[in-house]
Amino acid sequence: MALLCASASAIFSSSERPSFASLKRTMPSNQSSFLGFFPDLSLVPENQRWMFEESEADGPDIWNNTWYPKAKDHINTEKPWYVVDATDKILGRLASTIAVHIRGKNLPTYTPSVDMGAFVIVVNAEKVAVSGKKRTQKLYRRHSGRPGGMTVETFNQLQQRIPERIVEHAVRGMLPKGRLGRALFNHLKVYKGPDHPHEAQKPIELPIRDKRVQKQR
Amino acid sequence: MNKKEILKLAKGFRGRAKNCIRIARERVEKALQYSYRDRRNKKRDMRSLWIQRINAGTRQHGVNYGNFMHGLIKENIQLNRKVLSEISMHEPYSFKALVDISRSAFPGNKNVVLPTRKVNVSSINV
Repeated sequence: MALLCASASAIFSSSERPSFASLKRTMPSNQSSFLGFFPDLSLVPENQRWMFEESEADGPDIWNNTWYPKAKDHINTEKPWYVVDATDKILGRLASTIAVHIRGKNLPTYTPSVDMGAFVIVVNAEKVAVSGKKRTQKLYRRHSGRPGGMTVETFNQLQQRIPERIVEHAVRGMLPKGRLGRALFNHLKVYKGPDHPHEAQKPIELPIRDKRVQKQR
Repeated sequence: MNKKEILKLAKGFRGRAKNCIRIARERVEKALQYSYRDRRNKKRDMRSLWIQRINAGTRQHGVNYGNFMHGLIKENIQLNRKVLSEISMHEPYSFKALVDISRSAFPGNKNVVLPTRKVNVSSINV
């Protein structure tokens, strides 16, 4: 008799208690009596659903999960734009600061696999300066791929021909080489004169912390 | 491991390495070696990433990583780099407080010798 009762009670209790997961999703939606049971989540708007998930009641858990930037953390239209005037700035020091800002290494949310950096505009690129005898001695080489296809140009000659390429070459050498690096390079905009067509992006002055970037006259 | 298990591990591989057992076996062996090595490398890489993030966060306040950590050690603040990088990303005001504590404990090395500017010898008039 006792055995029968025990087994009956065991069956009874195990079948009566529904699992927590099924309770969440299958309870009928009756918004007026929400205190006891969870409402049907399909009727709750998307951005309020976190309120009904017990584990995320205080927001997403940032302390026990590794943070990785989501798409909304690096939308291109919301990135800052910087403008810098290259007149009489030392080429390498300027390019280094630009590369740091394009890559995003000045931000605490820096992630090497994601493009978190800003856009940089360089104006007056033909007035960029170099120290020493580099104007006549620094060589820019390119090779067409065919035998005997190496072309060598000095800094002066390239500045006469295509002055933007000097700054672009310098910054490209300082950005990572790879798919992401090539995408980052497209965030650099170099122009010859003092004007640029990006007024709509409201660029701000690029903060340069290098004390020796300005050429001493 | 039999062929089925190997081909299951070879999902997503390039070319014949995901379909043909002879090639897949080699690639899967290499992949498992890499994953063994990288379970150890991941700890190093993550620490390096935390340090880069802390560096960026402190430089926003005018202090570099080395001086910041030295100041924290002097104040016996034993927060590790993981937590410091998370604070610098998600709790900027708390991080600024930490930077201020570190700066007051170690304001920076006043005895730094700056590298002398190289003077062009021919330009010196004797």
